[in-house]
Formats: sequence, structure tokens, C-alpha cells
Amino acid sequence: MIAVRNLSVTYRTAARSVQAVTDVSLNLPKGSITAIVGESGGGKSSLVYGILRLLPPQAKVSGSIIYDGTDILSAKESWLRDFRWKKAALVTQGAMNSLTPVLTVGYQIGEVLRIRLGLSRKEADKRTAELLGMTNLSPEYAKRYPHELSGGQKQRVVIAMAVACSPELLIADEPTSALDVITQAEVAATLLDMVREKGMGLLLVSHDLPLAASLCENLAVMHKGRIVETGPPEKILGSPSHPHTKELLSAFSLIGGPG
Amino acid sequence: MRSYWIRRAIGAAAVLLLVIAANFFLFRIMPGDVVSSIVDPRFSPEAKERMREVFGLDQPLLRQFVIYVRRMLTFDFGISFLSQRPIWDELRSRVPNTIALLGSALLISSALGTWLGVQAARKRGGITEKVVLISGSISFSFPSFFVQLVLLLFLAYTLPVFPLRGSVSIPVPQGAIDRMLDYIWHLLLPAGSLVLLGFGSWAIYVRNLMVKTLGEDFILLARAKGFSESRVLWNHAFRSALPPILTIFLLALPGIVSGAVITETVFSLHGVGKYLLDSIMGHDYPAAGAAFYILGLLTIISNLAADAAYAIADPRIKVGRRAGM
Amino acid sequence: MIKIPRWSFITFFLILVIAVFAPMGLSRSPQETVAKPFAPPAWTGGDAPPPFSAVLSPSQGIVVLDWEWEAPENISIKGELVFEGYSVSKLVWTTPDGRTFTLASFQGSGKWPLDLDGRDITFKTALGIPPLANALPLLFPSRGEHRVSIEGDIPSGGSLNLTLPGGKWGLMGTDQRGRDVLALFIMGIRVSLLVGISATLLASFFGLSIGLTSGYLGGVVDSLVMRTVDVLLSIPVLPILMVIVGIWGKGLWQLVIILGLFSWMGTARTVRSLALSLRESCYVENLRSIGASPWYILYRHLLPEAMPVLLATISLGVPGAILAEAGLSFLGLSDPRVISWGRMLHEAHGFGAFTAGAWWLIIPPGIGISIICLVFLDMGRSIEEMADPRLKGSLRQ
Repeated sequence: MIAVRNLSVTYRTAARSVQAVTDVSLNLPKGSITAIVGESGGGKSSLVYGILRLLPPQAKVSGSIIYDGTDILSAKESWLRDFRWKKAALVTQGAMNSLTPVLTVGYQIGEVLRIRLGLSRKEADKRTAELLGMTNLSPEYAKRYPHELSGGQKQRVVIAMAVACSPELLIADEPTSALDVITQAEVAATLLDMVREKGMGLLLVSHDLPLAASLCENLAVMHKGRIVETGPPEKILGSPSHPHTKELLSAFSLIGGPG
Repeated sequence: MRSYWIRRAIGAAAVLLLVIAANFFLFRIMPGDVVSSIVDPRFSPEAKERMREVFGLDQPLLRQFVIYVRRMLTFDFGISFLSQRPIWDELRSRVPNTIALLGSALLISSALGTWLGVQAARKRGGITEKVVLISGSISFSFPSFFVQLVLLLFLAYTLPVFPLRGSVSIPVPQGAIDRMLDYIWHLLLPAGSLVLLGFGSWAIYVRNLMVKTLGEDFILLARAKGFSESRVLWNHAFRSALPPILTIFLLALPGIVSGAVITETVFSLHGVGKYLLDSIMGHDYPAAGAAFYILGLLTIISNLAADAAYAIADPRIKVGRRAGM
Repeated sequence: MIKIPRWSFITFFLILVIAVFAPMGLSRSPQETVAKPFAPPAWTGGDAPPPFSAVLSPSQGIVVLDWEWEAPENISIKGELVFEGYSVSKLVWTTPDGRTFTLASFQGSGKWPLDLDGRDITFKTALGIPPLANALPLLFPSRGEHRVSIEGDIPSGGSLNLTLPGGKWGLMGTDQRGRDVLALFIMGIRVSLLVGISATLLASFFGLSIGLTSGYLGGVVDSLVMRTVDVLLSIPVLPILMVIVGIWGKGLWQLVIILGLFSWMGTARTVRSLALSLRESCYVENLRSIGASPWYILYRHLLPEAMPVLLATISLGVPGAILAEAGLSFLGLSDPRVISWGRMLHEAHGFGAFTAGAWWLIIPPGIGISIICLVFLDMGRSIEEMADPRLKGSLRQ
């Protein structure tokens, strides 16, 4: 279980400082599916990147994020490297620029297996093919470069890479938002399949409240750096208490969402 | 892949043709008799007439040009006015020296510049970054020959660590190893000064490209994978920044060749650039044209080598056709 | 609010003032010999005499030199004395140990013109030494009080100038011909500025015309021009310049034209991409739709838009032209009569500054070139920042 306690993140530049996250506390039980929703720029990303301690140097962080009794924010570099990807892996917006452009897809998945799990090249190749198959990609895609893949295919590769070390928690930052509607549904289904099959936890970050609600067991609504509402999705969708939640809901029902 | 090479080859051929054409026409638009720029003015009238025929000077200009291109491509440059020897015989011994100077300076300055640039990009605001920025602005505004003259004055004259001039000691030392060491000793200051002048701007380019690359999503993801910093830096960031770095290398090549001409003059090296200058000073036009052609050829060949490296570094070139899928 | 301009603008103004006015203030031609060859600057240490000069006249019939150094390089006495009536007079040199030499003597009346030089054979024979011997050690055998005096009848008018060239000279010493390096240095600013600015203006004019035309017309013309630029950019420029200068001659204006012809490519590229982006912009589209002619759009709208970029390009291009001029001059491919910084370095390299250890011949021109280049680079950057404030503080490459 990962417990976020009183987390605040402030970005300092020479000109001004911006508080992105203010006093957020959150529990992520093992194997649970949690979603954080909110408008863009609301501090969602700062919160989840904080869990992997991937915030840029100009970010000033206070509070704590505890995993197994260790505070991730003050842990040693070696502990942190071991924690990353094996305990918590990241799924970014793969359609954008998440894959190194000059390395083949197969190399990039295999690299994780070889470096983090110590697999031999042969074993890694075999496992890479399996992982690609699990995300509904043919194994021959291993030889391809990122620019030869469509947005949805890239997103699947990023998911395959994220589950390579079977982490306890999968952090997915807007995993479907750059994709078209049909691909969105397919990728979301693939993601959910993987999580259920391996019993992984999922922390989903999205601005799409209906989509997030349909996937998660636990929902947190974030607004201006604070968590304004938490609870089971049915409850929040049924009787939203915070004005921002209502706003998010109405935004989607206007364009024909499930509400 | 094939179309990339066809395009590159056409480009190289165009540059080569331009160099030859420049050579051909520059020496023919000179004031006075055409023959005087091609045939030694001290020859007797009969000899001149014979040379006219050999060079096809009585034929139409286009035909002359074809003859000229063929001669250039077979390294048949004619006889030097100054030494009365075949020009290619004189140039042949100089080409390796120029290649040694250019090659060592390029390799060392790009390796040093790349390493410093990457370190500067990794630690913004650190000492390495300051060193890179200062040495970069020095190499942008200090004339190369000035820096070289100062080095020569202090390291060869005041403190006689390095030789004042030449590519080898006179008399030439006995034994292959001694001769090699002597050659390197003579090359150290010229090549070293080119490195000193070159690595700064190189490092700045690499730094700027790396800073941009390190801000990309895939770097964040590589860090999230728990890779070591050096793996993130070199295997992901640097590999991705390599194609644009090679492009800059290509753009910098002609300038480096120009720098070699000056360097050879400053250190009186037995190279092609010095030969070019001496020939121009001595109004030895066939020799000057040949030296210019060789320098152009060296540039074109290094261009092609950089193109090849680019094709290896950037997978987007290799596929081309499949990319549409 | 008055904004204080960047340091480079102030420095540029100062350099400009020096380039225009300082050569007028020079008391003698920079080509003139002022001290012995390779005389170090006066402020350096070492046992070398400073230059010395004195006047002998009817009222001042004797000059005393307290000589605390080795014998000077040369001695010269020039001038004219006038005697009324028949007179007998001579010029006498007295060494510290009391020996006397008659340097010249006069008998008669009227003018007595004198032009004595320590290296002249007549001077040496007058002293009774062989023509190839050096007269100076004889005249300056040891340190101490030396005298020159007019003895015999006193002249009624005229004067003689006694000069001893120093072993040290001025702020920057002398070159291989004993010329004042400071004077040469000041003269050199003119050439650098003149060639640098006019060649860049010429190149910018070419670049602007070619870039605008190419970007605006597009199509075949554009791709042809851009391929030409690519090809020209992949040939080393210096060897071409060397060959052309070698054939066409080494004059200053030839150099400006040649440099202009071979440095328009960068400007053309910049202007072209600007023209391309503007061509697609809405307001040019609008102008076209209301029937404005291409030339009207080009010169009334695209040109003013390109102006700040062009100004910055000019300023950033000047260092290139200055360095090219200096490089060619350094290689000896410049008019030997024109004093330039590159030429000074050429002469230092070619005429034994190294064996003389004459660093003062190398440092000033080199630093001068670098400072001018840095000034133009900084001016170019600040013009760019004014045109596009987003660049501020960033490292433009």
C-alpha cells in the first residue's frame, strides 16, 4: 500500500512560484483501482509523478509518500531505482513522445527486462514477444521503430513495457486521451485486462470523469491542487457534493456522455 | 534507404562538379592570355604551342571542360610552374598530413565537445556548463591563427616544448617508432590548437540539443523505469540527439577544412593547404587549382562519411517506404 | 524612462570614434621608423634605453646625456647651423672616460647643414673606424655622462636635433621595421570596420534579394536557390577566397566584393523562411485578395517585417567578414600597403617576431579582432532580443 500524507508541491521559477498540489492525503491499497480526475493543470500529474519522485528539480515538495514503511520522497537513490518500475510503473500518453525515437520497440521493452530483471537477451526477446501478444500486438512489431506505429499501437507498447516487471501499482497518466474514441475503448480494455489478470493496483489520472468512473473502485476529484471529493464512483456520480465535480459531470453530459 | 543514398550521391556529385567548374572557369577568366594561366610563361613559343594542343586550348570551351573534368578525376593535374614536377607527385605526399591534422582534430574535438556538452546539459548551472559557455564564445570570436600564434609563441618559442615549424624534424629520426613519435610531436600543437578552438562551439551545440532532448517524455519514462542516470543520459537522450548532432557536424566541416589551411600556414606543415597558399603566392595556377580540388574532394568525402553515420543513427531514414503504414 | 544601452553599443561607438578620429591625431605617419626594430613596449622591464632626443642651438651649445644603459642602436644628428662671418667650429663627442671624438667640423660662413647617421660610412671614417664596424660602442664605451658640444665659434642661428632611437617604445613597442605598433594598431581598426561592415552589407543585400524572391516565388526558383545555397555551404569558403584573391588581386574593394559574394547564403536562408511563413499568413493573403501586386507586398510588407531580423543578421555577420579579412591578410593575401590587423599578424609571423620573442606584435591585433567580433555578436543578439523578446536570456546558436 502507498500512503500519500499532506503532500504539497510548489514550482519555483525566478519570477514566481506556483503551488500545484496543496496538502493532499490519499491511500492506495494494494490491488485497488483508484482514479484521480480534475481539469488539466489541477495538480493531478504533479501528485502522481511525486509517487515516482520524478518531479523536476525546481519543484519543492513537502509531506510524505510512504511505501512499506519507507518515505519515497527521502529514500536513498538506490532504493528509489529499485522501487521504480518493479513496484510502481508508469503509463504515459504513449501517442505523444513516450518512446525513444531511435530505438526499436523490442529493444525498449527488452531493455527493461534485461536491466531490471536481469534476463538474458534470448529470454528477454521471448518475453517481449509475449508481452506484445498480451497487448494484442503481433510479435513482429518488436523490430519496428516508434515512428512506424500508430498512436494506439504506441500506447499498447507503453502498456506492455509498464507491465514487464509485474509492478504492484500501475500509474496511468491520461493513457487514452490522445487517441480516437474507438482506440480509446480498446486501449482502456487492454489496460483493465492486464490489471485484473495480474492483480496489479491501478492509479488512473484523467480529465474524463465518466471514463474514470467506469473503470475505478475509488474516485478522487481534484481541483486547484486539492482533493475536494473522494469515494466510490457510484456515490460521487449519483450525488456530487462539490461544485467542481458537478462541473466536470455536466461538461460530459453536454456532449452526450453517460450522464 | 536507397533513395536516401541516391540523393546523397547526386548532392556529392553536384558539389564535385561545382568545385571542378569553379576551378576551370576561375583560372580562365583571368586577365591576359589563357595559356599563361595554364602553361608556364617561361616556356618557348613552340613549347607553348604544343601545350595548347595537349590541353585542347584551341578547341571549343565545352570540349575543353570535358577534357578538364577527365583530367581532374584521374588526378592528372599537369606540371607545376614552380618545381617543374608533376603536381600530383607533390600533392601525394601532403595529403596524408592534411588528413592526419583534420582527422585527429575532428575526432578529438568532437569527442571532447560531446562529452562536455552532455555533462553540461545534465548539470545545468554547474562548472562544466560555465566552462562550455566560455570556451564556446571564445571559439566564436577569436581568430584561429591568433590563438595559434600565441600558443606557438609561448609553447614553442618561450618554452620550447613543441617544434616551431614543420611536420618532421630535420634530420628525420631513425627507426619507425621514433619517426612516428616525432610526427606526433609535430602534430600535437597544430591539432591541439584546432581542438582547443573547436570543442567549445561543439559542446555548446551538443548541450543545447541535449537540454531539449532531456525535457522529452521518453526521458521521463526512462527515469521511471529505474535505469541508471548514465543509461538514461547516453542510451536514450544522447542516442536520440545524435542525428541533429551529425547534421551540425556536416555543417561545420567546410569551416574546419578552411581552418586547416590556416593552421598549416601558421605551423608551416607539409600539407595541402600550405601548398595552396604557396602556389597562389608563386602564381603557380595549375598547382593552386589542384590543391583547391583536393581540399574540395576531402570535404566531399567527409560529407559522405557523415551522411553514412547519419543513416545509421537515424532509423527514420532507413525505412522511408514502410513509414506510411 | 531612458534605457541604458548594452555595453556593446557603447563600445562600438567608442571604437567608431577611435577609428575615425585617432588616425588624425597621430603626429607622424605610422609607416615611419620610431625606434629600433622589435623594441619592446616602454612599460616592460629590462635594460634597454628609452628613446632620447635633444636640441643643440646657439643658446644651448652643449647636451649632457646621463647614459645608464648599453650603447643605443643608432645615433642621428640632423639640422642646420648658421654662422655670421668666417667661423671655425666643430661638433665634439665626449665619453665618460674623457675621450673626445670630432663628429663633424665646419670652416667658413653661412649655413652648415648636417645629417649625421651612426650607420653611415662617412660618419665611421670620420671616427677612424672601418666601414663595417659599429660606431656606437665606441661612442658609448661605458655608462655615465656623455656630452655633445659645439666648440669653437658660436653660431648665430639654426639648431641641431640629436636623436637616439630607444630600445623600448611607447605603449606597444615597435615592429620589425621599427614602426610604432600602437599607430599601426589604430590604423588597423579602420580596415577591419570598413571591410567587415561593407562586405556584410553587400552580402545582406544579396541575401535579402535572393531570399525574398526565392521565398515569395517558391516552386522551382525556390528549390533551385536552396540547392545552390546547400552546395555553396558545403564547400570550404577560405580556399575559394584565396584562389579568387590570388587571381583578381589583393585590393581592399576587391576583397569586399568577393567576401560579399560568398557570404549571402545564411541571410538568404533566414529571409526565405521568414518570407515563406509570411506568405502563408492571413494578412498577406488578404492583401493578395484585394489585388495588391506581388512587388507591392514584397517591398511594403515583407521587407519591413524582415527588417529587425535582417539587422540582427548583419550584426551577427560582421564578425565572419572581419575574421575572413583577417584570415586572408594573415595568409599574406592582402595589399601590403594597407595596414590591417591581419597584415600585422602576417608580418609578425613572417618576419621573425618569434625569434625576437615579440609578443607585442601578436597580442594587440589579435585582441583587437576578438573585441570587435564580440561587440558585433553582442549587438546582434540584443537586436534579436528586441525584435523577439522570447530569446532573452536564452542561448541562441
